[in-house]
Amino acid sequence: MDMLTRRTLLTASFAAAAVLGLGLLPRMAAAQTPQQATAFVDQAGKDLIAVVNGAGATADKQAKLKQIVDKVVDVDEVGRFCLGRFWRTATPPQQQQYLDLFHQVLLKNIAGKLGDFQGVTFTIGRATPRDGGTVGVATVVTRPNVAPANVEWVVSASSGSPRIVDVIAEGTSLRLTQRSDYASFLSHNGDSVTALMDAMRKQLAQPG
Amino acid sequence: MTRLVLLGATGMMLAGVAGCATPPPASDPDAVADFNQTNDPLEPTNRVFYAVNNGIDAVLLKPVALAYTWVVPPVVRTGVHNALTNLNSPVLLANDMMQGKPRRAGDTLMRFVINSTVGVAGVFDVATGWGYPYHPSNFGETMALWGVPEGPYLFLPILGPGNPRDSSGYGVDVALDPLSWVRGAAITDANYGRYGLTLVDVRASLFDSLDKATAEALDPYATVRSLYRQHREAEIAAAKADNRATTPDWYPSKPAQ
Repeated sequence: MDMLTRRTLLTASFAAAAVLGLGLLPRMAAAQTPQQATAFVDQAGKDLIAVVNGAGATADKQAKLKQIVDKVVDVDEVGRFCLGRFWRTATPPQQQQYLDLFHQVLLKNIAGKLGDFQGVTFTIGRATPRDGGTVGVATVVTRPNVAPANVEWVVSASSGSPRIVDVIAEGTSLRLTQRSDYASFLSHNGDSVTALMDAMRKQLAQPG
Repeated sequence: MTRLVLLGATGMMLAGVAGCATPPPASDPDAVADFNQTNDPLEPTNRVFYAVNNGIDAVLLKPVALAYTWVVPPVVRTGVHNALTNLNSPVLLANDMMQGKPRRAGDTLMRFVINSTVGVAGVFDVATGWGYPYHPSNFGETMALWGVPEGPYLFLPILGPGNPRDSSGYGVDVALDPLSWVRGAAITDANYGRYGLTLVDVRASLFDSLDKATAEALDPYATVRSLYRQHREAEIAAAKADNRATTPDWYPSKPAQ
């Protein structure tokens, strides 16, 4: 191979690499790599554990927990998913009210579990790409006197920054379970989103 | 145990003759899709049994399991759970083999040998630390791997959530258990004791997860249905995906494809 062709080839491959690189770069920024999702879950988990296992009054801890959940969970996205096909039929004010209630119910449920998670630790496993550009990060969550649980955290970057959109504990998806709960309630209450919201308000009014 | 199976069979027959859910009109395709996905045509009957089971649970099973967790320290409870799991190993092994999963069968066999000896009659789960972790296996799962469809959702008294495939699979698992082949009053009593203890052990393990999930649910029946299905699908998927090679690492093998 003479000098000229080799140089041409070299230039061509450089050009190809540049084109490919340019083409890929914006996509890499919009989507997320498994490494990014893993780092995000690791940090979020450490933040949560610091609050759960840390010192302080329960009320303070619950307030801190809420801050972290707001930051790391895409609550609106989860809420939309849980309403399923009824999201489309709901009016915009209903949608807003529902998301508001959903947010409060979710935070209440998480805050109520604070005591159960004393002494919790976790180890990070493999990250695997899932549907819709999300990444599932596998973890093993260990609590005192309870068998270790396989928990997968589904991370989406669609809101601009990485956020958790689902938690899959031992093969059961939390948002899928919630959606079937709402769907069943709606089908037994005349498909009325208003009735669902009333039931959610009742849940919020319950102590605990 | 035969009584339980009989009860289950009666439940299935009752479910067959009693009320069926009314499918939504064909003019509402979204509702029809929901109905089909839920796959619970016997919902009215299932809900009755769900209520019956909750009643039995509230007066009998739950108090006993609560007392068990209060009186017996966690270390002992773990030991009991391990021993019960170990006694079930022959059933697991039979199913692993029928599923054509040699590595899973190997895991189960090694667990049984190690835990029955080093683990002092199965009280200590030594095998997990030695690289032979536990996996669930039952005849419902075996049939799923053979391609048997699950059928509609069923909620049976005592047995709880299931479907024709998994609930009948439970009967086969009981028949597969060598301990149920042995005749004699003493062993029969011991077996009843074991089944009773298993029931309490399982119920106690659910305080943490299931009781909280149903307490937070608007429709606990639907939540249990969803959790059961998802859990089952995950177990079956895990069994299907476990195709580890049967040759040891040092064995000269074909290059990876």
